[in-house]
Amino acid sequence: MKMENTAVLANPAQAQAAASPEVFQQLGLITRQLHDTLHQLGVMPKLQNAANGLPDARSRLNYIAEKTGAAANKVLNSVDQAKNEHNAIASETRRIAAAIVADPVKAVATGSVMNFVSDVEAATARIDKHLTDIMMAQDFHDLTGQVVAKVVSLAADLEDSLVKLLVQAAPPEQAQKVEASLLAGPVVNPEGRTDVVANQGEVDDLLASLGF
Amino acid sequence: MSNPDMKFLIVDDFSTMRRIVRGLLKELGYNNAEEAEDGVAALNLLKNTKFDFVVSDINMPNMNGFELLAAIKAEASLKHIPVLMVTAEARKEDIVRAAQDGAAGYIVKPFTKATLEEKVQKIMQKLAATA
Repeated sequence: MKMENTAVLANPAQAQAAASPEVFQQLGLITRQLHDTLHQLGVMPKLQNAANGLPDARSRLNYIAEKTGAAANKVLNSVDQAKNEHNAIASETRRIAAAIVADPVKAVATGSVMNFVSDVEAATARIDKHLTDIMMAQDFHDLTGQVVAKVVSLAADLEDSLVKLLVQAAPPEQAQKVEASLLAGPVVNPEGRTDVVANQGEVDDLLASLGF
Repeated sequence: MSNPDMKFLIVDDFSTMRRIVRGLLKELGYNNAEEAEDGVAALNLLKNTKFDFVVSDINMPNMNGFELLAAIKAEASLKHIPVLMVTAEARKEDIVRAAQDGAAGYIVKPFTKATLEEKVQKIMQKLAATA
């Protein structure tokens, strides 16, 4: 933009006075061309559909976060409780073994052995219930899997529209870089990429090569 | 040799991951651990409580893992504390940056108990050798 144009834009009154019908006509033409180009690219309807779906995608993602969070907590709680039961059985086993070694007759006669047997039976029943709870907690996978598929479809539509728009709008030398840009977070598919590591071994190798 | 009384600070914005790391540390014999949900909370805890080891995520709100690492290394009273990064970030530039910024180790998620054990022991051995 030339200096005199910049100065005109800085003063709205002057700009209005200076604006000729040709300028408005030119602006209208550019807007029309942009509109037509977007329609020809098929960007506008898809972009609108995708944008309309965003609130729905947000609620679906919240649903996934809630379901997976609840499942993780349920599993961890059950594991904690099962581990406590397991530790109690291990401790009681050591105690009863020592009692049997010390005086087998007394251990049986006092009922210690039978008490231990019934304690173990009760504890294993409780552990079995915890294991069942852990198994049932995995139901989130089926539910969230379906939701994920819908959100992925929406995201793909949005990405497709935005990439087309970006490639169209970007300078030629930048356009090729557009599709290579990455989002932060887990690398879902590291195959064929040289900028990421695929496993812990590659992390260790990289750090070792740098002397760390 | 690892000291079971060592105090760990686990920093991650996901409570599930904090719980998993805490559980694994417990299985490795380290029962003394506290948790923080981001770098700001972690730094507050570090300034008020003595910790021997920090296990930190990278992607967190408010203050991310790199910023926390920089803050720890910039504070004279904290810079001796080893920081193990445990993160889903698998980009080489992040790994190199963490090492250059003073991280004691780097683990990519998902990880195993054996990996955590190996890294913690390696870091503690290195510290013992330089002490």
